[in-house]
Parts: sequence; structure tokens; C-alpha cells
Amino acid sequence: MSWAKLSQWLTKLCERRQAVLGLNARNRLFIQHENPRQLRRMVDDKVRAKQRLMEHGVPVPRTLGVCRGLIDIPRMLCDLEACDGFVVKPVCGAAGRGVLVVRGARNGAGWTAADGGALGERALARHIAETIFGAFSRRQEDAALIEELVEPHEFFAGLSSHGLCDVRLLVHRHSPVMAMVRAPTRGSGGRANLHAGGLGLGVSLDRGIVSSCVRRGRRHERHPESGAKLVGLSVPFWSEIVRIGVDAARAFPLGYLGVDVVVNREGQPLVLELNARAGLEIQNVCDQGMYSAFAQRGSETATERAVGAESGNTGIPGER
Amino acid sequence: MTRANKFRRAPVLWVVALLLTCVLASVGYKLIFLGYALADLLPETHYHVTYRFSFDGHRRPVSLRTFVPVSDEHQTISEERNASPGLHFETSMEGLNLRGLWSSSSGGEGTSAEYAFEVATRPLQFELGRHIAVPDGYAAPIEEFLKPEENIQVDDPEIVRTLVGIHADQGDAASRLEKIYRFTSHLAPRAFKGTTDALTALRLGEASCNGKSRLFAALARAGGIPTRLVGGLILESGSKRTSHQWVESYLGGHWVPFCPTNHHFAEIPANYLVLYRGDESLFSHTSDINFKYAYETKLRQVPAAKARESLGSVNVWALFERLGLPFSLLRTLLMLPIGALVVVACRNIVGVPTFGTFLPALIAAASLETGAFWGIVGVLIIVSLVALVRLALQRFSLLHSPTLAILLAAVTIVMLATSLVAERVGARALTRISMFPIAVLAITAERFYVAMADHGAQLAARELAGTIAVVLACYALMNSLALQALVVGFPEVLLVVVAFNAYLGTWTGIRVSEYFRFRYLLREREA
Repeated sequence: MSWAKLSQWLTKLCERRQAVLGLNARNRLFIQHENPRQLRRMVDDKVRAKQRLMEHGVPVPRTLGVCRGLIDIPRMLCDLEACDGFVVKPVCGAAGRGVLVVRGARNGAGWTAADGGALGERALARHIAETIFGAFSRRQEDAALIEELVEPHEFFAGLSSHGLCDVRLLVHRHSPVMAMVRAPTRGSGGRANLHAGGLGLGVSLDRGIVSSCVRRGRRHERHPESGAKLVGLSVPFWSEIVRIGVDAARAFPLGYLGVDVVVNREGQPLVLELNARAGLEIQNVCDQGMYSAFAQRGSETATERAVGAESGNTGIPGER
Repeated sequence: MTRANKFRRAPVLWVVALLLTCVLASVGYKLIFLGYALADLLPETHYHVTYRFSFDGHRRPVSLRTFVPVSDEHQTISEERNASPGLHFETSMEGLNLRGLWSSSSGGEGTSAEYAFEVATRPLQFELGRHIAVPDGYAAPIEEFLKPEENIQVDDPEIVRTLVGIHADQGDAASRLEKIYRFTSHLAPRAFKGTTDALTALRLGEASCNGKSRLFAALARAGGIPTRLVGGLILESGSKRTSHQWVESYLGGHWVPFCPTNHHFAEIPANYLVLYRGDESLFSHTSDINFKYAYETKLRQVPAAKARESLGSVNVWALFERLGLPFSLLRTLLMLPIGALVVVACRNIVGVPTFGTFLPALIAAASLETGAFWGIVGVLIIVSLVALVRLALQRFSLLHSPTLAILLAAVTIVMLATSLVAERVGARALTRISMFPIAVLAITAERFYVAMADHGAQLAARELAGTIAVVLACYALMNSLALQALVVGFPEVLLVVVAFNAYLGTWTGIRVSEYFRFRYLLREREA
């Protein structure tokens, strides 16, 4: 390669690089700047976040209970007797760690975990205790949130039989920027997280049509496990999903948010959780750099950036 | 300051520029006006030598004699310390040598003695004057070293014949010594620990250090050049029992050292320690006392005098000396920020995944004592232990914190066991594993366990590989003598580290690894 060609190639690479958001820029310009630590706590604590969402009229899965100490466990187990499927989550957990999904009602000695294994009363109590001791959130103390199990809408149920599919919306300054559907696979252990091996489907924000399919950084045309055709599918209730996702983000004074939405069997979108440190893999899934999505999406985002309009916590990010 | 202003880069860059200017000005001042030179700042190696004796007195009177070193042009001995409970200790000059005597009127059962001292040496090299004729006679004390001794058979016809055979019986003194040196140093080496006399060495055509030295002495004396044996130690890190012998020949008013065994002509290297001169035996002691001994040597890096001065205003070095802390600790402290900078650069510019932020720098700092290889071996032992313990404990699904506590116990046990086994099988290097600070190992174990639990084995393995790579990078930089001298001589260099970090703290570019991660986004597209 000649020098001229090399320098031309490098110049072009630098241009294309402008479109991509890297970890350094995300950490400093989006997390530190737009999501200051004291505000991040609002979404890091799932119980508080849910409370706030409900106050703002955003639909969320029903809470069955919160165990804050070991003393709460026996009563909780009693309450769960009659329950038809539930999820145990660490209140301050992240990346799907420590999430235990239980399907169906109690049968004899115990329940059935989502992976098909039997889950005795003791095992469940132990999991809740571990959660309270902070084993999944790397804290000294945490609490366990127990929610009803959302039965997904048939479209989402069809995408994965290994766990709950959700829609990840990336919302910046209260306007949606990118969206993807995350589907757990056999390899991801029931988790929808892309790092765990979940399948990411890039969805066009305007029309809700699946445009790409990526797992572990690799592109696929069809589902890598089932072989079902995915690209071109149209996600049902799309405008509802986006609206509820944006509503959820509006309930918080944070600039950079990942909102996870699920759709239940009745077609009602529910906000599952929020993430103030949303990952960057969505760029690979949607095949678009974050900055180019900013530019393309909400011109208001771009304008805001230029004028520094928005008040309070979301000023202009520094030089890029 | 509003939030938006807080995220501006310009003020940070001004601070960076200011810091760099200050450092440049201060370094420039020292170089130009105080006459610093980097070469003066390189740390010197000092040796800490310990004699360890043990014997069984059977409750009878015992005595033990051996030589203790004295300072001369080649070596400076300081901080001599005797620790021999229940034994009387005294030193006395005997001829050219200082002899230490440990004695007791009732020997006791198992008695042990320790004698330790600090050695600073400098290598000596002699330029042999040409055309110095071998004189006809010397002053009486020097004349002594021409005479035959029991094991140095100067008059033996075979010795004389050999001298003539190699033409070392004629010409000037230097050329005679050259021929004798060449002859003796070309004898085959022999790993024989006992005494070999000059004649035996000649007849066998091979010898250990003492045989070669005696033959050298016999030939040189026969050739009219006063020559004496020198006994001592070759200083190297670790514990050993072997002593070494070489010779000194009297030439032009100087005693010039030669070591035919290790090929040192008219020079004595820095790691030779002289204990005695003359054909003496190293130890003499009461018989039947089951006498055992070992010499233990530790290498210590000590800042050069110039570098010590440079710390004058703050005088951290003096503080460390007062507190009795070793220089290596000061060095580690000063180098740690540099190691941390390497980690930050590896993480934020390159994007190497590591355990924790500073763990690689800490592991590298700990490895400065043991060497990078043993540091990595230590980490690998810990990591495989963690994987094993995790596997073993998985079926019991214990709570998190108790699991970590079990892990720590396992780490302690394995470290001790490794050292124990290593000592048994005589793998001295492996015993260094236990020199690794337990805190660093404990954090490594916890981090790796958490990484395995949180990210799965595959990602944890990647983080491990990243950590090892960054440890090596940190080690290379932190262990660089030039850089150490730079930091000890110019502690203000640490401000450069601060400036670098301030810059990196605002740098929001794409990491090298992200060019790979987002390669599909960065590839050329049709417009």
C-alpha cells in the first residue's frame, strides 16, 4: 500500500471513527457528565426506580415483595405458595446477575426453575439470602426484589424459548436514539444480556422492523440456533413500546439511559428495568455508530447540544 | 463552576502544561546548575552476607574459628553483627587475616551462631606494566611468598620442568604471569570440593579452584614472583556452602589478583568477597561436633550517593534509614505511581481487560523482589487454586463471603506448602514464592474468583491474560534501572505521571481494542 493510499485510508478511518461512541467517551461524557453519581442511584435501586415509574404512570411488572433481611424470607416463601411464576432479582444487581426465574406454581416439595431444574424451598431461601448478602451485586448488603413473571407476547416468546426477550431502547436526553430486541439463547443461560451470549436484533426506531441480527459480535441472517428467519420481521406494538420507554426515561433526570421493555401476553408493554450505564454493543447490533444515530435521530438532541438548552443536570457535554 | 465547565478539557490541559513546565524547569536546573548526571544516579548493589553455623556440643567445651572479612581497596565491610546465644565471640588479627572465634566452656546440645555484615564492593582492574624485570630479592615479609609450602611444591622438579616448558622462566614479570595464567586457566575444571595440591593438579591436568590456584602460586613462585592464595566467597543471591580460591601476585609494589578458575586476569570482579589470604583452611573447630554451615547472601539495591543528596530537601532516604526500612521499599513506593500509569494507559488507550485497576501494578511491585518470572508463577498458582477451590465448593453453594475466606485459607496453605516442598527438593528459586506479599495474593484470588463468578470462565481467562501482559509491562518499566535512577534522582518526575493521568482522564478517544470491537462499523461502506 502506498503512502498516499495509507494516509487516505487513515483519514477515512478517522472520519468513520467520529460516528462511534467508545467506552472512554461514554464514561466521561455520558455517564459522569449526564448521569451524575447521586442521580444514578435513582435507577440503580430497582425498588426506588419502580416506585418512581409507577408514580409517573409507567406500567411495570407487579412487585410481589421485597426481602431486606433474612427475617423476611419465611413470610415471603409463604406468600409465594400461591404464586404462578415469579422472578427474584437483586435490587442493586446489574447485567442480569443473580436473576432467578421460577415458572409455574408450587408443586409438592418446591418449584421449577426456568432452566427446568427442581428448586426446593431451601434452595430458594438460600438464593434470596445470597442476594441479601450482596453476592450478586458486590455490595455488603442488598435486598431481593420478587416480581411476577411476565409471560411474553407470542412474538417475543417465538424468538426465544430460553428466557424472556426484551426491547432495549437507548434514550438520550429523553429522546430515543437506538433500539434492539435482546433474545436469550441456549448459550446465554436464560439471560438476554449480549455479553452473556444473548442474541441482539437491531430494530429500526421508526418502523419497528428487524434490520440485523448479531450474536457475540457476529452477524447472522437467521436465528443461529433455531434457523428461523429474523431480518425483516416487524415487532408488534412498536410505537407503544417506544412511547412507554421514553415515558420511563422522562421520569428520571438522567441524560443517558438504557430502558428495557417487555410486552406481556396481552400486548401491554412493561418497563422491566433501567440502566444508567447502558452498554455500547447496541452500535454493533444496529450497525450504526451512536453519534451518527444522534445526528440522524432527534434533531432536537443535536440542537440541544449546540445551544445547551436543557436545564439543570444535562448541560453541554465537553469537547468531543 | 457549572457542570458543563467541569467537563471542559482546556483547563485540564493547562494544568498538564503547567506541571510539565515545572518538571522541565526543575530537572533542567539540576542538570545545568547542580551538575547531575544520570550515570551517577544508578543504584549500587550492596550485599548482606550471613554466616550460619550449627554444631552439637555434647556439653563439652567447643570452639570454632573462621575468617571474617576486613575492609580494603576492593571491599567495604560494615554493620557487622554477631548473634550467637550462649557462645563467647571475639576477633583477633592473625597475620594478614581477621579471625573470629566462637567458644563455650559447655557446648550445650544444638548450638547455632550467626554472623552478618554488609558488603559494598568495587571491581578492580590492574594494568600490568611491561618491562618490569623480576627482581633478585624482596623485603622479608614478601620473600615469604616465594617459599614452598606443603601443598605448593615450588621446588618440585615437575613444577620447574613445567615452568620451563611454558617459557615462564624468562622475560619480564608480566609476560611470565600471562603464561602461567594461560596454562592454569586452560586446565580442565573439576568439581572436587576437597583440597588439591599444586603437583596433583599438574599431574591430573584438571583441578577445582584451589588446585588451579595452588598450581598458579607454585609456578609463579618458581618463576620468582611472590604469590599468595586468597580465599573468599562469590557473592550471589541465595544460600550456599562453597567458598572460592584465587591468587594475588606481587608485581610493581602491588598485590595483583588473578582467578584462573573463572578467567579474571589482573582483576577482581565486584562479586568476589575476600575472607583470608594465605593457604589457610576456612574453618577449624573442635572435632566430632557435627558442624554445619552455610553462607547466605542477599542483594540490595542502594541509591548512589548523588541520588541520596538529591532527596536532600525532602530527605525521604534519610527517613527510611532512620526507620530501618530498606531502599527497595522506597524504590517500590516511588515506582508504584508509574506502574499505575502503565495500567491506566493499558486500560484506557489499549483496552486490555485486567483484574482491578491497580492490581497489575501491585503484582509487578511485589515481583520486583522475586523477579517477574516468579511473580507470574505465583499468580498462576493462585489462579489455578481459585479455579480448583471454586470447582470443589460449587456443589455446596456456600455464601459468597465465607467462600472467599476459605479461598484465603487455601492460598495461605498452598503458599506455605509450595515453599516447604521447594525447600525439600532444593528448588531454591521456588521458595521465593513465599516472599510474595500475602495481601497482593489475597486480592488476586478474590478478584479472579469474582471475575469467574461474574463474567464466566472464558472472560476471566481473558482478564487473566490481560493482567499478566500488563504485569509484564509494569514490571519492565518499574524494574528499569534507568527509570528508577531517574525517579530517585528527580522525584519531580512523578508530577509528569500526574500530568499524564490528568490528560488521560479527559481523553475520550476510541481504545485500540475498540477498533476491533467496532470493526464492522468502521469498515468502508458504500455511500
